[in-house]
Amino acid sequence: MAAVTDIDAAPRDRASRARALHWALAAALILVSLASLQVGATDVSLSNLAAKLAQGEALTRMDRVVLWDIRLPRLAMGGLVGAALAVSGAAMQGLFRNPLADPGIVGVGAGAGLGAILAIVLGGLLPPWVNTLTGNQLTPFAAFLGGWGSTLLLYRVATSHGHTSVATMLLAGIALGALAGAVSGILVYIADDTQLRDLTFWGLGSLAGASWAKVLTAGPMILLAPGAALTLGRGLNGLALGEATAAHIGVSVQRLKTIAILAVAAATGAAVAVSGGIGFVGIVVPHLLRLASGPDHRTLLLNSALLGAILLILADVIARVVIAPAELPIGIVTAVLGAPVFLWILLTRRGLADL
Amino acid sequence: MSFIAENIRVSYGNREALRGVSFNADPGAFTAIVGPNGSGKSTLLGAMTASLPHTGAVRLNGRDIAAMKPWELASERAVLPQAARLAFPFTVIEVVRLGLQSGTAGDRPEVPMQALSRVGLAHYANRTFQELSGGEAQRVMLARVLAQVWSPVEHGRPRWLLLDEPVSSLDIAHQLQVMEIARTFARAGGGVIAVMHDLNLTALFADRVAVLSEGQRLAFGTPAEVLTDETLSLAYGCELRVCSPPPAGVPYILPHAASA
Repeated sequence: MAAVTDIDAAPRDRASRARALHWALAAALILVSLASLQVGATDVSLSNLAAKLAQGEALTRMDRVVLWDIRLPRLAMGGLVGAALAVSGAAMQGLFRNPLADPGIVGVGAGAGLGAILAIVLGGLLPPWVNTLTGNQLTPFAAFLGGWGSTLLLYRVATSHGHTSVATMLLAGIALGALAGAVSGILVYIADDTQLRDLTFWGLGSLAGASWAKVLTAGPMILLAPGAALTLGRGLNGLALGEATAAHIGVSVQRLKTIAILAVAAATGAAVAVSGGIGFVGIVVPHLLRLASGPDHRTLLLNSALLGAILLILADVIARVVIAPAELPIGIVTAVLGAPVFLWILLTRRGLADL
Repeated sequence: MSFIAENIRVSYGNREALRGVSFNADPGAFTAIVGPNGSGKSTLLGAMTASLPHTGAVRLNGRDIAAMKPWELASERAVLPQAARLAFPFTVIEVVRLGLQSGTAGDRPEVPMQALSRVGLAHYANRTFQELSGGEAQRVMLARVLAQVWSPVEHGRPRWLLLDEPVSSLDIAHQLQVMEIARTFARAGGGVIAVMHDLNLTALFADRVAVLSEGQRLAFGTPAEVLTDETLSLAYGCELRVCSPPPAGVPYILPHAASA
């Protein structure tokens, strides 16, 4: 038997690197937040305001509206949505033991898309009180209901005798996605030109409609995933060994699955509802962090929340700046910048990507 | 303070894999479960680890496992699965730490390296698990399991190693090493229950042997009582002759005697 003396190197400590990343990412988040407040279609900026305050001038109404009513809620929304998408991605990848899983895998994407299309195309047929009830936010409301509803349905299908089969859920999700796609196709077919334009832009995603009302409505729901995920780290680590072994090392597997699926569905449902289809964040962010500091979910989930928020705020800044005073849908920015970077990483680190 | 299974029945669909098997293991002993493919060995272990739905009672150190929380079970017994699977590129030392965190030695950071040394893989601590060969991966999983129940006895209660074919992908030297580790654990007061395919290793290391066949217990006793021509030939459905070489006096199995 080998003696203790053959320990030739101290175990490399990726855990401390991951914890250092918490602080680095938090600092970066503050920086991009300041940048996000600084730039926009008007020349209101933090540096101008600081100069004005230093000279004893009062802030104009416009300064206040731009900063407080437009940029700040947009910043908050970007941070929340980015954090929710990235954490949900990391949690789903852990749950499905597959680095390609994303929040859409639990049916949120298909259901939310169908809900949004229904609202855009058929919303006009509803009695006016429905629109009043949802505060003129019928589309996000319907998207949330669609996403949450489809997840509950999939969860129900995949659960029997108190055991949820993630494989069944995945297969049922593909079936449901096909069905939602077909119904969406019918609706797209009967939609008029304005509605088609609305559909296209909804699908590309945007933070442009952000307001404090939206932040306060969707915020608590969006915070569910990051909040719940921070308690799931140990369980998801155990799940990497397979469901049976996770149970053997003391993980309450069914509880873990239920919390992860429902929290992720609620959070991404709300995030998709307020910001439309923003792809890619949920896959790229956890993958980058796994390369940087290892797959330990106890640190990966928090780091994903931070990096997700950073990337989405940054993408929103770019979306606002490149063709100012107009702006690009943010989904285009995340894909145009994210996809090449991701491809490059896959090419250079292929060995690890295979895992 | 034993591990007791009473009248266990397990069905896969319409097929009854275990038909009322009773089994018990004592701490301080290495108890082996042997039998042909499909005889219900791993199924019995699955029922005893609460990972398969079953009827009949399983008691661990005097408590019904159905009434124990996953973390309570994890602090009293560790389970080595047949296949070493792992998603995501964890390093070897990180895998062993997963075991440590689930047991009660969680406050002893030196344990994972000691566990790796015990299986002879301390120098692999920083490797990615997926780079390992099948045999190395299985030994790393054994180190993880050892880290989970590092002290064979804690607060006067024995802890248990449940091993499902622990030597299936190992070369002969490492087969002996792993069996030695398991026996050491038992000699220190812990309990070991292992599903075994290799009858010679079973004869060498086990204190008690249960022979399963077609979902039923055919025999249960010391190796000398159980590993007989008659029992084994019946269990495995081929003619086997058990022989004892002069020096050691331990039974060994000679397949050469089998007639086709």
